[in-house]
Amino acid sequence: MTSTISVTGLTRRYRNQTALDDVSVEIEENTITGLLGRNGAGKSTFMRIVTAQEFAGSGTVRVFGEDPMENDGVLRRTVFVREDQQFPDFKVRHAIRAASWFHPNWDARFADSLLTDFELPRDRAIKRLSRGMRSALSITIGLAARAELTLLDEPYAGLDAVARQLFYDRLLADYTEHPRTILLSTHLVDEVADLLERVVMFDRGRVLLDAAADDVRGGGATISGPVTAVEDFVAGRRVLHRRSIGSRTSVTVSDYLDAADRARAAALHLKLEPLSLQQLLVHTSGGPADLEATA
Amino acid sequence: MTTLVKVTRYHLLDRLQYVVLPGGITLFSFLVNLTVFKMFPPPDGDSYSGGLVTLYIWLFIPATLTVTKSLPFGFALGLSRRVYYLGTLLLMVGLSTAYALIITALQAIERATGGWGTSLHFFRIPWIFDGAPFQTWLTSFVVLALGFVYGLWFGLVHRRWQVVGLLLFIAAQVVVLLGAAMIVTGAGLWGKVGEFASTLNVYDLTAVLAAVTVVLAVGGFATMRRVTV
Amino acid sequence: MDPAEVTVLDEGTPLFTQIAEQVAGDIADGTLAEGDRVPSTNELAAFHRINPATAAKGINMLIDDGVLEKRRGIGMFVTTGARERLLEGRRKQFAEQYLDPMLIEAQRLGIDMGTLISLIRGGTA
Repeated sequence: MTSTISVTGLTRRYRNQTALDDVSVEIEENTITGLLGRNGAGKSTFMRIVTAQEFAGSGTVRVFGEDPMENDGVLRRTVFVREDQQFPDFKVRHAIRAASWFHPNWDARFADSLLTDFELPRDRAIKRLSRGMRSALSITIGLAARAELTLLDEPYAGLDAVARQLFYDRLLADYTEHPRTILLSTHLVDEVADLLERVVMFDRGRVLLDAAADDVRGGGATISGPVTAVEDFVAGRRVLHRRSIGSRTSVTVSDYLDAADRARAAALHLKLEPLSLQQLLVHTSGGPADLEATA
Repeated sequence: MTTLVKVTRYHLLDRLQYVVLPGGITLFSFLVNLTVFKMFPPPDGDSYSGGLVTLYIWLFIPATLTVTKSLPFGFALGLSRRVYYLGTLLLMVGLSTAYALIITALQAIERATGGWGTSLHFFRIPWIFDGAPFQTWLTSFVVLALGFVYGLWFGLVHRRWQVVGLLLFIAAQVVVLLGAAMIVTGAGLWGKVGEFASTLNVYDLTAVLAAVTVVLAVGGFATMRRVTV
Repeated sequence: MDPAEVTVLDEGTPLFTQIAEQVAGDIADGTLAEGDRVPSTNELAAFHRINPATAAKGINMLIDDGVLEKRRGIGMFVTTGARERLLEGRRKQFAEQYLDPMLIEAQRLGIDMGTLISLIRGGTA
């Protein structure tokens, strides 16, 4: 496995807060990796340090095998798009032009089709774009750059559901045709769950989970029904959460339930709801345990 | 296109900031001066307008704003701090050269037309912009570059240390100048300083300003090295 | 998301398994005949809006099971005997997946074996 990004023992502290705490992670080349976690968990700081925008406190960071700090060779092969990206006093077409100069793999036709798809007016000042359109512009640049390492930090601020789906579709289609290493940080986990090959989950500056998405997806379920039947079913399993009302109870387990399990649950008249990736991560991170709120 | 040239072109995509505003406002100032002097010719013939300083101010200001406006997107596109800074200096060289040429050319025209027909000396400043065209260009170039680099450093200090840092930066300069003045006064050297100054010609002054410009550029780079957005 | 896709790919099984099961299902019920070309992993990924690597994992499962074979440069094809193999596997699971739940439910409702058998004979299908 070739690592595009190799981070060991990365720690970064600000005056009164530890943004990253002894983070060690390998990002494999030509994968779509999701950086997941709550706001302030450290995802953005991680991406900023990897792209040399922010300085590491301690630890080593290697991108394409080298230290990215002030490294033109490495930086030329990356593009980093963040939510609320600040632009100079440009029009849309200026930003596109500038981006085309600095990325060797830039595809002008692809950029053009994305601008059309997102209905971005090429001659409008970026200052006068809505938040969603600014995100669309950032996404256009991030995708059309075809950079070997593409980092997208919550790039969909202000985009409605239709535009987001457009983004996911374009991302997936272009990735399939031009594989590269993509790091996508998001808190809208369920929307992108199927796009991910790997997930890295941050919580309070630490990496809680670093696994193949396939291993994490499809794990866990909530079993509901009469108390005795449910408890019988979940005996010996890893219980994440319990909720009861009267003689009924809902128990969430993190185990993977196979066909036999599901048949048994059906026979016992127990309701079985698979956990979404988002719910699973909420439980793993010790966040608010109310499933209904996250459904 | 080498990377540094790309950075320069990147800055210039915002034509307003570096071309339209400085050029436009200076032009406006010139026209105002011309109109005023045409309408109210001063009694003693030649008049010198200090309006040219407008151009210098209007390069200083965009320079301070450069970092705030252009660096975030520059980072997103994968520019290192070194490349960004050197590319910005290249921009400065280009702008200073161009504006200095324009000043020189306009000064020649001014001379030829006898002060635009009203003995107005906008582009000619006694002793500083008074001599050979090459000297006008050189001194203009250095002064413009100085203004730009100084503004750039201001912008960087603000970016890195915010308003507090900026105030300390200004205070430090004041302290240094006052300190130097106090030393000179204490050692009773003002007479010597005066003597020395009178032996300087405009080329020497230009050289001193050029040296100051280099110092400011190095200082700016040192500040740049740990800047984040 | 398209509602049709939600029902298809929202079970509690891993995504790559679902892909494999879908293709296997098509083979088992004859939609995909032996020797037919199966959609490529990229085509499957695009259709289901999932990562190509996940689709590839599902397809590879079927290749490992001998249900599909890869012909270099051309694509993936259903192997001969694949349908029979799949049906046999499903027959083995039939009792566990369908009969056991039925028996448990019958017992719960107090339906004795005799009634059950005549119900099966008479049927409702």
